[in-house]
Amino acid sequence: MQYNENFYLAIQGLADHKFRSFLTMLGIIFGVASVITMLSIGEGAKREAIAKYQDLGVNNIIIREKTLSDEELEEVRAKFSQGLSFDDANVIKEIVPGVERIASQAEKNTDVRYNDKSVKSTIIGITPDFQAMMNYKLQNGYFINYKHYNERLKVCVLGAGVAANFFKGEDPIGKLVKIDDQWLEVIGVLESKSLFTETVGELAARDLNTDVFVPLSLFQNRFTRDNILASEIQQITVQINNSDKLVEASKIINEILRRHHFNNDDYSIVIPYELLKQEEKERQIYNFLLGAIAAISLLVGGIGIMNIMLANVMERTREIGIRRAVGARKIDIMSQFVIESVAISIIGGIIGVLIGIILSLIVSLFTDINTFIKPYSVFIAFSFSVIVGVSFGYLPAKNAANLKPVDSIRYE
Amino acid sequence: MLIKIKDLKKNYSLGDAEIPVIHGINLNIDKNEYVAIMGPSGSGKSTLMNILGCLDTASSGHYYFNSVDVSTLDDDSLSIMRNKEIGFIFQNFNLLPRLNAIQNVELPLVYTGTPGAERRERALKALDRVGLSERLNHKPSELSGGQKQRVAVARALITNPGILLADEPTGALDSKTGVEIMRLFEELHAEGNTIILITHEQEIANYAHRNIYLKDGMIHSDKLNPQRNS
Repeated sequence: MQYNENFYLAIQGLADHKFRSFLTMLGIIFGVASVITMLSIGEGAKREAIAKYQDLGVNNIIIREKTLSDEELEEVRAKFSQGLSFDDANVIKEIVPGVERIASQAEKNTDVRYNDKSVKSTIIGITPDFQAMMNYKLQNGYFINYKHYNERLKVCVLGAGVAANFFKGEDPIGKLVKIDDQWLEVIGVLESKSLFTETVGELAARDLNTDVFVPLSLFQNRFTRDNILASEIQQITVQINNSDKLVEASKIINEILRRHHFNNDDYSIVIPYELLKQEEKERQIYNFLLGAIAAISLLVGGIGIMNIMLANVMERTREIGIRRAVGARKIDIMSQFVIESVAISIIGGIIGVLIGIILSLIVSLFTDINTFIKPYSVFIAFSFSVIVGVSFGYLPAKNAANLKPVDSIRYE
Repeated sequence: MLIKIKDLKKNYSLGDAEIPVIHGINLNIDKNEYVAIMGPSGSGKSTLMNILGCLDTASSGHYYFNSVDVSTLDDDSLSIMRNKEIGFIFQNFNLLPRLNAIQNVELPLVYTGTPGAERRERALKALDRVGLSERLNHKPSELSGGQKQRVAVARALITNPGILLADEPTGALDSKTGVEIMRLFEELHAEGNTIILITHEQEIANYAHRNIYLKDGMIHSDKLNPQRNS
């Protein structure tokens, strides 16, 4: 018995009963579509999280000054802590094993002006290593380098939002913007960054696109601090060469800082990679639930196939008897019916994949849930539907094959 | 000797009880014989036909076909026997309603793995042999009773089986068409085919050269037909 013969028969059988075939397929169609949609929602959430933490650098440890009220600040200063300092950064670099790079940054919230426009911005003084550590990309110009830093040049790199606000249709490079009473030359514009919508540790949620970067040397020299008690720097970013050593390194850093700050709890340590792992763990339950819902709908689809195939076998008892009388073996009858249910699930699977893709697109277009379809999820959903077809088609096919020819040929 | 049956018995179980249908039959049929098996309903003739056609197996006794003991064969071998050695012709034609005439005739060859082109060629030849040359692409529902039975005969002939087994082949036909089919059987017999006919009509049995009369699961009489053996 040739299998393409059986396949042809199966397709013809389905075409003869279009409406019934369609109803049978519905279960599979929705099952596959929901598997694909669910997986794409899970994957979208994962990518969003990864993108968020990538902005912070997956190999980085971020040491951040705690936001303190004026009274608290006075209190920690009275207890001899001078807040985060270059000293801290130097000691960390010397003592902590595996440090690849280290970057200090000082910050200040103020207005940036260009012509008659003004934008509320965070001015960040940085060292040249910052760009490589944070994975920042430029859409225009170049980043602050050692020459700018060493010579305290009056230059700045604008966040995409600031640049868009100031320069509509104008080339921002070479233009002068005013910060406090200083005129700075724009040398680069960053690519737009996804909004930081959640607070991560001490990293407050804010729009990264309104940041303006200047050389740290210039920052210290030219910009006045709002508060006389303010720390020297607001953040130290430490890049470790091995992400497995992040936790270990952060413990050492904590020891060092605790001693340096005379046991004052005025800083916090954030490990983006660890937060990412933790978030992934939390999402596992959610993904498991999504998967379970999808699996149940596929299962129901399979039961639908089995139900129809059982009725189909009954209805075609006579045909089975005739085929057996002219020489069909049990295995021939069996494969005919299995192939028929597999054909239902393959066709249903294809339609389901298409609907799943459309549904994922609709979800990401009309809600703020991100979706992403990985090719492997299409593969999984599709092979699942074929497995369902084979396993739920097996019992009816076996029933068909086991009908006694002598009884089935006289079946009315 | 094409068929040799020895002490053949068949019981049907009905709950706990075993109902004997065939009580012990001994029968020999030669190649190119034309035999009619007759008897009233309940005489066991349909059961005997099912066993002869390898659709059913005996409870005890032996059935040799071409010296092969059919009673020892497994299900797959029985299927191959039906495919290669037995051509069934049924009272109600038993054609597949979704297939056209050619496809119905091809059906036995599908299970021998014969390639499509050869199947078609042989099917057309068989159809030509039974005198059907038109309406070949029509489904059974679009054919007359006589045409349907010709398609069925062509299907029985296509594998060149050892025997043609016809169960009341004229039962669903009008008398004129019935006569045509019986003429066709005569021709097939003349060409060397072995035919076993199951019928309850003496008129039809008269076409055969040997008449076996079954009664209560036993052979009541077995005689040659004087009209046909002259």
